[in-house]
Amino acid sequence: MKAVKAAAKAVKSPHAETVRKAVAAPMLEIPEPKLTWMNKSRQWGVRVKPGKKGLTLGSLNVGIYGEIPMDWPDQTRNPRGAIGRKGMPPVGYMLRSKSQVWADCAADLYEEAIQRRWAPATDVPWDTVKPLPDDLERAVCQVNTELSQYANVEIEVISAWQHQMVYGYHEVKQYLATAGFDAARHYEVFRKRALMNGGGLGLEGPGQVNRMILESRGGWTEAVVYLVLVRGLFAQTILRYLEHYASNEAESFIYRNVLQDKARLLTYGLDHLKFAIAHNEDQKQIIATLLAIGDGLFIRDFNDPVLREALAIVFGGSIEGARGAGMDVYHDMMRAYISTHLEYCQWLDVPRRIPEQLEQYAPQD
Amino acid sequence: MTAFPSVEWFDDVRDIFNHEDSFRGGGGGQCNCVAGIKVGNEIFVLTFEGFECAGARKASLGDLDEVDFYLDMEILEWQAMIENIRQNGHAGLGYTLNTLDLDRAERLATSVHGDQYREDLFFRYNQTLQYFFDASSRIATEFAS
Repeated sequence: MKAVKAAAKAVKSPHAETVRKAVAAPMLEIPEPKLTWMNKSRQWGVRVKPGKKGLTLGSLNVGIYGEIPMDWPDQTRNPRGAIGRKGMPPVGYMLRSKSQVWADCAADLYEEAIQRRWAPATDVPWDTVKPLPDDLERAVCQVNTELSQYANVEIEVISAWQHQMVYGYHEVKQYLATAGFDAARHYEVFRKRALMNGGGLGLEGPGQVNRMILESRGGWTEAVVYLVLVRGLFAQTILRYLEHYASNEAESFIYRNVLQDKARLLTYGLDHLKFAIAHNEDQKQIIATLLAIGDGLFIRDFNDPVLREALAIVFGGSIEGARGAGMDVYHDMMRAYISTHLEYCQWLDVPRRIPEQLEQYAPQD
Repeated sequence: MTAFPSVEWFDDVRDIFNHEDSFRGGGGGQCNCVAGIKVGNEIFVLTFEGFECAGARKASLGDLDEVDFYLDMEILEWQAMIENIRQNGHAGLGYTLNTLDLDRAERLATSVHGDQYREDLFFRYNQTLQYFFDASSRIATEFAS
């Protein structure tokens, strides 16, 4: 209709002669479309229907699109199930075996992460944060400084390995994209807590475990051992205790929701390690060796007094409170960490001996 | 007034939880798990599917073998939590599920099977479970004396 009106207008306009000539001129030659690409499909007629959870990533794994082989030699960015072009240069992915990256839960975790997101700017009840005594505020800020550093390391580690993974296992790549985003949110929210109540960022953490995770070069599975079984579980335990001893609703909300995000990464890690163990007979022993090596660096961080003192002040409510109840709670927290760490190792059937310096926290039975 | 614990009480809470949009954001959202609730010797099973708590039923001790995890407290502890939620409109700092879990020598969230993967659903869906119990602030509850 618009075109008809425009044409009518053009006939009456001063340019009518130009338009008339253009219309009368021979048509430009357009080549006959070949449409040969239209027959290029490995499986036509797929109709995935949305279920109760919607049209999920995992539900698309039907027919040939659900074939996820143990090895993926294709080194291009060809999406799984598509037909590759001949002559595409390899990208040079390092992780091309399923056992190096896979976890059955990855597609579900991806959906879950997208669905259960939260926004620190608007979802946290920031108005519940009231002025705290200086010693407590400084301790809260110190803990949040170190937690934001943990998050930063997580972003770097995940992104450094994610781009090494082939597209044959896109569920894992996609889930890890959300895990990187979760870590960015954590970096943001801890920084916000440190800067919003008259305090500020504190001292950088000693970072031995950070370097251990960042410099783990053996493979993604090996990085997961440190990222999940060591740092992940330690951070989870700290978050649980911080939620318990939160000074206000905002902190309680922050720690509870970070805990929930972190639980997804732990689930991925646990599931992946189980898969890797099932497909590599040496894997259990490799994990045990890595954990034994990691103990030394964990103990170096553990011996640094800054985080310990700050946590004890948060748990005790003040410097005075830290001397008694606060330190007792800190020791409880360490016992909880070691106990959870051992439960995870036991579930994976990985032999584990707690080093002498941490034996005081090991379960007595 | 609805008596706790009872299927009617859980149904009343489900009705509020399933129709409250705010519980679907802010860290809440789709949740897929089967949770047991142990109140003293009484057992209930809650099924969460997508955005909803799809069902609540009375169950027996043996049914706990099948749930992903179960929350276990004595009646007076449940009462204290529910009354605190009623007073605050949501769980106060000392009564969140995570806090109650840490405060108990025997954990609040546990399982019969000991499957770490399934037990961890308590943490993965923690905010949704919290929202579910927070929804009980909108119903009048009576407790057996």
